[in-house]
Amino acid sequence: MNHAFTHSGSASAAVGALTPEAEPPAKMSAKGVDVYYGDIHAVKNVSLDISKQDVTALIGPSGCGKSTFLRCFNRMNDDIAGCRVTGDITLDDNAITGSEMDVVELRARVGMVFQKPYPFPKSIEENVAYGPRIHGLARKGVELDEIVERSLRLAGLWDEVRDRLDSPANSLSGGQQQRLCIARALAVEPEVILMDEPCSALDPIATAKIEELIEELRGSYAIAIVTHNLQQAARVSQITAFLHLGELIEVGPTSKIFTNPANQKTDDYITGRYG
Amino acid sequence: MPRTFDPVIRELRGMLLQMGSRSEAILEKSLQALEERSEPLADEVDVDDIDIDRLDVAIDLAILEALALNAPVAGDLREIFSIKMIATDLERVGDLARNIAKSARRSANRAELDPPAELYRLARSAIDMLRRALDAYARSDVETARGVLDDDDLVDAEEEEFIAQELAEIAGDAAIAPQAVDLILVAKNLERVADHATNIAEDVILIIEAQNIKHATKLGAAK
Repeated sequence: MNHAFTHSGSASAAVGALTPEAEPPAKMSAKGVDVYYGDIHAVKNVSLDISKQDVTALIGPSGCGKSTFLRCFNRMNDDIAGCRVTGDITLDDNAITGSEMDVVELRARVGMVFQKPYPFPKSIEENVAYGPRIHGLARKGVELDEIVERSLRLAGLWDEVRDRLDSPANSLSGGQQQRLCIARALAVEPEVILMDEPCSALDPIATAKIEELIEELRGSYAIAIVTHNLQQAARVSQITAFLHLGELIEVGPTSKIFTNPANQKTDDYITGRYG
Repeated sequence: MPRTFDPVIRELRGMLLQMGSRSEAILEKSLQALEERSEPLADEVDVDDIDIDRLDVAIDLAILEALALNAPVAGDLREIFSIKMIATDLERVGDLARNIAKSARRSANRAELDPPAELYRLARSAIDMLRRALDAYARSDVETARGVLDDDDLVDAEEEEFIAQELAEIAGDAAIAPQAVDLILVAKNLERVADHATNIAEDVILIIEAQNIKHATKLGAAK
C-alpha cells in the first residue's frame, strides 16, 4: 500500500513509507472517454484503469458523471436513448466499444450491481441459476446446483437461504436481496464487478455485510464501486477516483486521497467544503 | 460554506493554544522559583500543572468526539492528529516545569549558590523555541517552524557546555555538588523542553505540508 504522508529524505526507506510499489495491472482501461446525453456533456475526456487486484472507488458530488462513467465499462449506456459514448475502453487490452462486441457476453464478464436490489420475480434459486443457464455454463442439473451453492456462498448468503431456496426472492430482506443480486452476478463467473451505490438503500448492518463481501471478493475480481458515502470509499477501496462536473480531478491510493489529496477540489469535497 | 466541523476545530485550536500559553507560563514560573529560591512559587507550579492536565484530558475527549462524529479527513485529519500530539508535548512541558520546581525547592533549602548566567541563557533559548513553535502553529507558519528545528542543535550545545562547566565546578569544590547536580537536572529538563518544541514544529509541518519529518536524521542514518 502506498502511504499517505510523505516522509522526509532517505529515512523513509527505513520505515517503508516511500517504498513505491509496482502499479497493479489494469483489468479494464478507459482512455479519453466522453459521454453525451444529447447536448449534455456528462463525462469529459476521462481516462482511468480498473485494477485487477484492488477495489476502485468513484466518488464525487451528485451529477458529476460517476455512475454514467461506471456504466461505460459494460456498455449499459447503450440502452439509454440519446446517450453517446466516445473514447477507448478495453477489457484485458481488447476493445469493448466496437459494434462487433457481443454485449451480452460482455455483461457476463463485467457484472453490475445496482443501487436498489432488483431480484427477478422468481425463487431464490432461480435468480442465481438463470444466468448460468442462459449462458450455457451448466449442462446438468447437478452442475447448476453447484453453481447456485457456490455463488450464494461467495455472496455470504448460503447459510441464510439454504433451507428455502424455493422461496420467492422478494421475501428476503433488502440486504439479503442485494447479496442475492451479487450472487446472481457471480454465478456467470464474471471477471469484473461494477457496483453503483450498492448500499445506499441498506441499513448499517446490511451495509457492513456488503462491505465485508467486497473485501472477500477483492483479488478474485476486479471491482469498481460508485459511492456517495466517503467513509465507505475509504473503508472498501484501495484506489479512489474523484470526479467533478464530468471531469476526473484526481485518482490515487485511497489512503493518499483521504489524508493528503493533491488537488484542492478533492480536498474541498472530501472535507465537506462543497458537494 | 460553513461546515459543522469548523466550530469543532476552532474550539480544539483554542484549547490547545490555551494549554500552550499555560505551559509557557508554568515554565517561566518554575525558573523564577529557582532564581528567587522560592518554595511558595515552586508549590504554585504544581498547582498550575493540574490545569494543564485538565486541558489535556479535555482535548482528548474533544478529539475522540470529533473523530467519532465528524470523521475528519485530509487537512482536518492531520490537524486533529497533530493537536493530540502537540497536547501530549505540552503536558510533558508541564511535567518538566514541575521537575524544575522540585530542584528549586531543594535549592531553596541549601546554602546559596546563584545559578550561572549560562543556565538562564539555556532557559531563554528553550522558552523561545517553545513560544515560536506555538506561534508557528497559531499562524500556520512553516518558516517559523523550520527555524525552531534549526535551533534544537544550539540548545543541545548550550546544555552540553553548561554540564561540562558544572562538572568542572564540582571537581574544584565537592561541597557544591548537591546544588550543581540540581542545576544540571534543570539544564536537562530545559533541553527536553526544546525537544518538545521541536516536536511541535514538526507537527506544524505535518499539518501544512503533509510531510512527516520526525526522526528523519536518525532513520536516514539507520538506512
